[in-house]
Amino acid sequence: MRLQLMLNPRARRRGRRRSFAWLSVALGALLAPHARAQVADVDVRTSVFNEPSATSKLTVIHPGAAVVVRPTSWLGVNASYDADIVTGATEAVKRGRLADIVTQASDFSDTRHVVGGGFSITRASTELSANYAYGFESDYKSQSFTVAAGTDFLQKNTKIELSYGRGFDEVCTTAFAETDAPSNRQALTSSDGCFSNADDRAVREINLDTFQAAWNQNWTPELNMQMVLTGALQNGFLENPYRSVEIAAAGDAALENHPDNRARGALALRLKYYVRPIKTAIGFGVRGYRDTWDILGQTYELSGERYLFPWLRLLVRGRYYAQTGALFWSDDYTGGEPETGPRGQYWSGDREVSPLASYSAGARLQLEKSGAGEARVFGIFRQLRAAAAFDGIKTDLKEFTWSGETPDDTLALLFTLTAGASF
Amino acid sequence: MEHHLVGKVVKGMAASLLLALGTSCVTVRPEQKAILADPTMQFESNPLEESARQHVIENREAAYGGGSVQGGGCGCN
Repeated sequence: MRLQLMLNPRARRRGRRRSFAWLSVALGALLAPHARAQVADVDVRTSVFNEPSATSKLTVIHPGAAVVVRPTSWLGVNASYDADIVTGATEAVKRGRLADIVTQASDFSDTRHVVGGGFSITRASTELSANYAYGFESDYKSQSFTVAAGTDFLQKNTKIELSYGRGFDEVCTTAFAETDAPSNRQALTSSDGCFSNADDRAVREINLDTFQAAWNQNWTPELNMQMVLTGALQNGFLENPYRSVEIAAAGDAALENHPDNRARGALALRLKYYVRPIKTAIGFGVRGYRDTWDILGQTYELSGERYLFPWLRLLVRGRYYAQTGALFWSDDYTGGEPETGPRGQYWSGDREVSPLASYSAGARLQLEKSGAGEARVFGIFRQLRAAAAFDGIKTDLKEFTWSGETPDDTLALLFTLTAGASF
Repeated sequence: MEHHLVGKVVKGMAASLLLALGTSCVTVRPEQKAILADPTMQFESNPLEESARQHVIENREAAYGGGSVQGGGCGCN
């Protein structure tokens, strides 16, 4: 700034002309040889998640938008925004089936924002990409970096993609010291004072590493396959900072206490097969999961998708999932567990680490209208698209109770609308 | 029981992998890829919609990973 002020007006004009010339050359080099490759995709989404229960009344509105611009045939630049607007109610203390006290659910609400951006470079049969995302809400912040590399070979019938993601998350908690006994730690009652200098608040870190390898293979003109192997490491504060668990018969409760480390692995196999007689693409997927908390999971998915009209297609899908509970899971920790045993060292009020099964079914209608060749829809768009989807998810909690009572918020409904355009 | 079932799943997938490796010289010619290129044959044909669904599922279950990735299908992009 100071240098610019010292220049005389003629030099400034010369500098401006030179900058403009460089900018023109750069833009020309970027755009002119690849004018036909210029494409921008804009997509927006809103989903509404609801648990029609008398107690939790959980509702999450999940709007999002994504933009991808390809100024050249080899470069893609993307940006995205997502939000979670959450309202509902939950019990602050998880009491077991032996408890005499029934706690009331208390209301909560929060909004989470995630902004992201990145780029991809495609050369011949290889694609490299890098992305960054930053998420924030009143009691949680997250940053993640992801890099991926993929390549096609065997006449583009085989594609291998490797990716690595690193997350740096921060969660707000009460200001307990690491040396405090877990049984003396208390849960948050509100997010007031989080990420400030408040004496009664602290920030705990969570480090996340995710590795993934994916293999796509075309086997026949009607059959393709995808195999995905994922490994993830989590380290840090893996509890819910608001949740207490009753750990003594007298009714004493302490902040939920999970192990600080968790290694997770999943292997999934998916197939898509086009059944010519019924003109339908049938999808089948199976996934096995295991982690160091000794949770084993299995997932089975089935789908069918076909065209109702050349511009409208219908997808129907079903899914079954089952998992075992964590090694330290118990619905009631007041029974005098040995202090050195898994249920004496750790305690959880999280239904996600309890044994459960879940069933879901849904459908999606998707409309797509593309211009033929170089023609444009309404003279502007290369493609217009819109979709409406509905899914119902029913969870069967095998052991989890609120003071011995089965939760009534085990049915979830998800409505999603998306719309997009390519220019 | 659950451990036994998961073991079967893993063995099944391992067998599929071996079968796949053993027949990796299978080739679909470019002119045969019309169906594979169709959106109905993609594993993730509406990423925004599928990410919303995945978001809900991940918040209700312990399992994580193995999600579908874009790029399945004709491999002609």
